[in-house]
Amino acid sequence: MSETTPPVLDCHDVTVRFGDVVALSDVSISFASGAIHAVVGQNGAGKTTFARVIAGLIDPNEGSVRISGRDMPKGSVNDARRAGVELVHQSFALPPSFTVAEAMQFGGAGGKLYTRNQLERRWQAHLDALNINVKAGQRIRDLPVESQQSVEIARALVTDAKLLILDEPTAVLSPEGTEKLFERIRHLKSAGVTIILILHKIREVLAIADTVSVLRGGKLVEGPVACSGVDADKLSELIIGPSARPLDEDDRAALTGSASSLHTHVGVSGNDVGAPPILDMKSVSSAPDGDGPPLGDVSLAIRPGEIVGVAGVEGNGQRTLVRALSALTEVQSGTIALDGKQVTTMPLQGRRIAGLRVIPFERNVEGLSLTSSLWENWSARKLLQGSLLSWIRPSALRSECKSALDTWDVRYATVVQRAGSLSGGNAQKVILSREMDEDARLIIAAQPTRGLDIGATAFVWDALDKARRRNCGILLISSDLDEIMDICDRVVVMLSGRIAGTFEPPYDIARIGAAMTGVAHDR
Amino acid sequence: MTDSLVSIARALVFIVVALVLCAVIFSIAGFSAELMFSAILDGAFLRNGALNHALRWGLPLFITAVGVAISFRAGYFNIGAQGQFYVGAICAAFVAEWTSGAPAFVVIPLCFLAGMIGGALWALWPGLLRLRSGADEVITTLMGNFLAGLLLVYVTSGPLKDQSGSGQQASSRPLDAAYRISNSLGVSPTIIAIAVIVGLSMWLLVNRTSFGMMSGLAGRNPTMVTWQGAKLWKVGLASFIISGALAGLAGTIELMGPNGRLASGFLPAHGFTAILIALVANLSILGSAVAALFFGGLASAALYLPVIAGLPSSAIDIINAAIALFITARSQLIDRIMRFRSRANG
Amino acid sequence: MDDIIIAILRSGTPLVYVTLAGVIAQRAGIWHLGLEGLMIAGACATILGIVFTQSIVLALLIAVGVCMVVSVLFWFVVEKLKANQIIAGLGLTGLGLGGTTLAIESIFGSQAAVSAPFGLPRIGPLFGSFGNLSILVLLMPFFVLAFWVLLRRTRFGLRLAAAGEHPFAARSVGIEPSRIRLAALVIGGALCALGGAELAAGSLQFFSQNMTAGRGFMAFAAVIFGAGHPVGAALAAMFFAIVGALGIRAQLVFGDRVPHDLLLGLPYIATVIGIWMSARLRGGAKAISGFGELRDN
Repeated sequence: MSETTPPVLDCHDVTVRFGDVVALSDVSISFASGAIHAVVGQNGAGKTTFARVIAGLIDPNEGSVRISGRDMPKGSVNDARRAGVELVHQSFALPPSFTVAEAMQFGGAGGKLYTRNQLERRWQAHLDALNINVKAGQRIRDLPVESQQSVEIARALVTDAKLLILDEPTAVLSPEGTEKLFERIRHLKSAGVTIILILHKIREVLAIADTVSVLRGGKLVEGPVACSGVDADKLSELIIGPSARPLDEDDRAALTGSASSLHTHVGVSGNDVGAPPILDMKSVSSAPDGDGPPLGDVSLAIRPGEIVGVAGVEGNGQRTLVRALSALTEVQSGTIALDGKQVTTMPLQGRRIAGLRVIPFERNVEGLSLTSSLWENWSARKLLQGSLLSWIRPSALRSECKSALDTWDVRYATVVQRAGSLSGGNAQKVILSREMDEDARLIIAAQPTRGLDIGATAFVWDALDKARRRNCGILLISSDLDEIMDICDRVVVMLSGRIAGTFEPPYDIARIGAAMTGVAHDR
Repeated sequence: MTDSLVSIARALVFIVVALVLCAVIFSIAGFSAELMFSAILDGAFLRNGALNHALRWGLPLFITAVGVAISFRAGYFNIGAQGQFYVGAICAAFVAEWTSGAPAFVVIPLCFLAGMIGGALWALWPGLLRLRSGADEVITTLMGNFLAGLLLVYVTSGPLKDQSGSGQQASSRPLDAAYRISNSLGVSPTIIAIAVIVGLSMWLLVNRTSFGMMSGLAGRNPTMVTWQGAKLWKVGLASFIISGALAGLAGTIELMGPNGRLASGFLPAHGFTAILIALVANLSILGSAVAALFFGGLASAALYLPVIAGLPSSAIDIINAAIALFITARSQLIDRIMRFRSRANG
Repeated sequence: MDDIIIAILRSGTPLVYVTLAGVIAQRAGIWHLGLEGLMIAGACATILGIVFTQSIVLALLIAVGVCMVVSVLFWFVVEKLKANQIIAGLGLTGLGLGGTTLAIESIFGSQAAVSAPFGLPRIGPLFGSFGNLSILVLLMPFFVLAFWVLLRRTRFGLRLAAAGEHPFAARSVGIEPSRIRLAALVIGGALCALGGAELAAGSLQFFSQNMTAGRGFMAFAAVIFGAGHPVGAALAAMFFAIVGALGIRAQLVFGDRVPHDLLLGLPYIATVIGIWMSARLRGGAKAISGFGELRDN
């Protein structure tokens, strides 16, 4: 790295506040050009905010940003893009109804009028040059997740990007997909592009990056330091920071993604292997319902005290599975039994009374009503167990809610405050306190720790463990393989609506990853 | 508690903003804004018997507004209150006609029943279209208003036409005096009792039953409620039926009370005003009672203006429309002030 | 046969213009229930403009100007004050209806209809009996085509669609969704003015209060029916116009045997059927209503 070229990015004392919350605090950092820089930290550390400040999407309250030696006016995406900065977002910034060609077009400069053919030809050339196997005429919403990400990257490369920032690109990818992404990144580096990668797994950092910097609580606690000499355990400590709760080694490794690729998992002893399964799905196939592939002949059994993990790239039928179990999508053949009872034709209300609980994928859309109060959100489950005309006493419900939330250590001021005012971790705890009651038998936990910081994540794992010890059955759906390998007694992989593999501990990331992409893997 | 204070404050601020806009409009039209407002104030609240007049308009408005609030709370934009109001009145008028001669204690309850059923049915068809096919209820209920208006014209110039009418405005034969529930002043113990019963029962439904809580949650986030196992269509259907029945009830009250007959195009702004009341009250039942009194006063001023002050009665429609324009606004400034205050108060 | 087509064109053209306004607003993510108010404001401004300036050009300019200004107000209330689009739209409509009534009451002293000495320029005798139609009718298909090109084949159209469908994506490429919505609403305002002008001065030459009779809402329904596509929505609008024209025709044919008012109700019934059919075709797609937290961008 030459001493005379200015750093491609130079931040001084960047501070960002959202109301009372300080997302970034006095961050001063500078990145040399031409290298791959990793920025790591747990959820809530400020990584995405940092990326957005550099891309001009967020206007910092204080501090300055310099790109290639030039001061950047604050909060202007156009200026940042003109200076060669492009951001690939974590959840893609692609309008679903657009075609790939339209998605490339709307962000750029240039011709005003076009015909459909002209447009597609122009952008197909761009896609082909980048070796992206997608047709320019396809609609974004019809593409699988990995292809959408490739389109998102292609969009960022439309202009001559000098600095490419990727925000958590590996979160949605299988291990093979991650490797392909890293190849593309190395290729870009050799073409002279500087890359900033927002990651939160140490394993990935060590595989691809030249330097690593650590954010924690909005502050820069380390870096950039060269990856070659770095100690994974020290990095892990920096990411986690002084932790309020003691974490065991396996959990630490899972939380920071530094676990080795082989993973030993110890199940709960004293499991009554002879007991009837809590969930018994036999050859279930579902009708297509417009949200992911239908289930194809899925058979799955969960015993009391067992946590079964469902791994797989998003969009391979996990949502359909959860909806089929929750009676929200039509099951065409096969049977579902809950705790010995046949529930195949039973609506959700009945299944919940039989002990089904769901921690849904989208916390804020499916799990909570953000504009409603905590006690209303919390009481919803109990209310629906009775008839619609039953009498309720709000004051009684409020005090019940209060004691429940206190038991679950939720940070809140009053039970009448809106659910939207809680932090992600606390909001998730409200959902847990509602769903993990004593009558729960089968708990479906869909991405329960997504977006949560390390403390909240460990809390959720602990809660799942306690439920397991109470002989509940737990179905965990997660795109985080470290999490799955750490806490699950058994892992199934879903691909295109079918079960593509079942694994018992010790888990091998390579074999699970191969099943996720449908590649037969012999070792 | 602070939540309701915030919404009251917000409502007041935006009512003031609306009035300012109206002042501008009136001035451009060549009227003295001051004169108009003072005439309205006088006509609505200050003159003798203002309270009575406000009640006469406000009581039926309150009943319809409660129905609107229940529907909106459940997440359904049933803006067909005007149509349901008309259809209720029409059904009651027919029943009064058919049972003419029978004793009052038979006719009156039957008319009320007919009115409520008529209104409920007029809300049911857009409701079913929405719940079964996803057809947006905004346009269907709006079209229902126009269709009900045409139906009213047809009925008052056809089947129920008053042959001895003067021809100014088509209307039906006046109801027999025995069947009236109030005189033309419109405030009677019967009407007040009906309003109180409606208010109490609906308040209990909304605040003390499972249905009330679930429909509130469903209105804010139907997805979450579905994931809890609720059958949304049940809540939705009930909401449409209740709101339609209440509007129909109000129509029946107007027919059998102060109006005494069905007149073509009577009370054309009733539905819209009721919607406004529900919004100003932030969909609360108690708030609707207060707001209904306020808008009832405004409505009474509408008749007073041209008679006394020589001002066009459309001024009230403009005020109502301006309030509607602003009432759902959420200024960040107000939100921030309110948040600051609530934190300061601990 | 000819006069049926003329009648359909006469009643359909105002509807199509307003429908295009609805389409561009919907692409930008705005459910515009204020179309009725803008339309009647345009109609009133055109007639008053003709009466007071004796110039059709000035009258049209005034109408377009008034509607554009009112559209800016609507934008401010919905975007900056974050009001609920549906209620604010209804309020805007109320302001339009009440404001135009107030205008004629204050200027002419009564609520009676106001006649204008002349209307919009006609196409001309070259076209035979069609020559009596106004030039706005002739221009209508060009407007539809121009809109199709604008919304589907230009970068502006893409940016508008991005702002409406995925505001974050729009912001990430430097588009300010708020500002592009302003453009959409102002353009829509101008179109509503043209629609109102055609209604009042196209073949009639007068303005009477509430003369729009729900056409603005029918245009909104046509937008939904046409799935937001300019050509599809315009066809839907023409369909409603055909139903309306047939209804008037049927009155002449059936005379007293069918109630006059029922036939007047045909366009409204057609609108309901249109909404229902488009919902079924789209598999019961999510309806727009409700104060729910999920409907916000």
